[in-house]
Amino acid sequence: MSSPATKYVSRSLYSVSVRRAWVTGRFFLVYGTVISALLGALLAHFSASSFASSYPLFVPIFGVVGSMGGLTVFTSDRTKGVLEYLIAYGYSPRRLFANVLLTTLVLVGIVVGIGVSVSLGVYFAEGNTATSALAISVGVYAVPMAFACAAFASTVGVYWTALSSPRAGINSPVGLIPFIGILPALATLFVIVAATLSGPLSTTTLLLILGSAMGLVAIFVIVLLASMGRLLRRERLLSQA
Amino acid sequence: MFMESATNVPDSPVTAGNGVGIDCRSVTAGYLGSRVLHQISFRITEPSIYVVLGPNGAGKTTLFRTLAGILRPYEGEVFIGGEPVDHQSSRDRLHYLTHMDGLPDGLSVREALEFFARAEGAQSGDVDRVLDQLAIRDLSAKFPSQLSAGQRKRVSIARVFLQERSIYLLDEPTANLDPKVAREIRELILKLSREKIVLYSSHNLFEAREIARYVLVIKSGQISRFDRIENVRGSRYVLGIRVLQPSPALVTYDHEGEYYLRELSGPEEVPAVLRELMAQGVQIREAREMENPLEDLFT
Repeated sequence: MSSPATKYVSRSLYSVSVRRAWVTGRFFLVYGTVISALLGALLAHFSASSFASSYPLFVPIFGVVGSMGGLTVFTSDRTKGVLEYLIAYGYSPRRLFANVLLTTLVLVGIVVGIGVSVSLGVYFAEGNTATSALAISVGVYAVPMAFACAAFASTVGVYWTALSSPRAGINSPVGLIPFIGILPALATLFVIVAATLSGPLSTTTLLLILGSAMGLVAIFVIVLLASMGRLLRRERLLSQA
Repeated sequence: MFMESATNVPDSPVTAGNGVGIDCRSVTAGYLGSRVLHQISFRITEPSIYVVLGPNGAGKTTLFRTLAGILRPYEGEVFIGGEPVDHQSSRDRLHYLTHMDGLPDGLSVREALEFFARAEGAQSGDVDRVLDQLAIRDLSAKFPSQLSAGQRKRVSIARVFLQERSIYLLDEPTANLDPKVAREIRELILKLSREKIVLYSSHNLFEAREIARYVLVIKSGQISRFDRIENVRGSRYVLGIRVLQPSPALVTYDHEGEYYLRELSGPEEVPAVLRELMAQGVQIREAREMENPLEDLFT
């Protein structure tokens, strides 16, 4: 049951969280966006022939890095007692987790949106034309995989943060999650590379692999989100006194 | 006001007085299966200040978290105004101040209070009111990382004044505050307690004695005492007297700083002792109880 006030603030919680993620995680956001756009632009300018095959590999990596602000806010809120406050005023843990996920997806949208737009802009400005390989690599792999990896990183990060003692630095969930977050992208690449060892891949096989990878990540995230009520008890969200 | 043991708490939720109260029934609660509170029962319906005392680790914060509906009891139930604490209507009757600052990173003081105001159903005009009420307007553009511990605490306290509620759960509200600000906060809370139920935890026994009408003592997760403050007596009563001029009448008294000390059997002996001293020409400037009887509650 939610009061009108709680319903109202739920809508604004997402926008406030995105703003806070920008303030507290802007280093991640700027780093992910700038490097992604810069690499894409340089590749498009100096090596347009390899742009379609190389650039998409970077997008999920910088998408994950750039969207770490969502997890940063969650970690900070847990340590500082903000989650405790929100639970006391009627927020369910699941709603709080969903807030982290939505914030992360907004941030990865910014990173990918700017990075891909700049890179493709330079690519086409150089007189290159769109190919089906480019469309598949960017439209079917890079962009969806960036969102999938960020959602994966965010969900695993929330679990890890909630299940571990508050700690900072590179040994903290926020420090390590970027490395874990890119695992779906790396695993997909391994599968693609392994599949090419027996001969060239057909577009259908490639789409099947990419679709399966995305589906698995989506199922993983949905199952973890759906299980949060049972797997993560409320006390996991409280600061340690 | 009801103070009842687990055995005689009635079955029906509390609806006495203004219809809002706390009814804690045989509650056992804790963290991840580890039990901190054991079979705690009490009922509160009278607006007043109830100071919750106890040594570190006794279960004070766990009690507040359970009453606020954050921790779910393993056994027993908590009712707020007759409704289970998990109901939103119960939550809407409570203000809960955590022992942490609870200030969100990335928001200025004003933005944080506006966020809290929306969460609690208050108006944006209430933010301006509390900025003045808590004298924190000059902090409104600052971020939590730019504030001292005391300033953060003031901002944190401000949020419970955004909107009136029936019950206030304040976990160490004056920790980290300088004496002047702590006194101002206590005065605000005292005013509040005329019409509201305020549960207030503190490690400061002098503060507790100053504001409490009732004390609720927790030891090892159980309530060891729940009584009116005037009924709490220490094992010894030491009267301290400060005088304008030294007097031979005080030669048998012990000294502690400016105070002449005399141990009495209880406060009822004080008027006679003072009369006797004044009859001997002693000019008394101040007389006070030197020991804090609440200290004995910890032993």
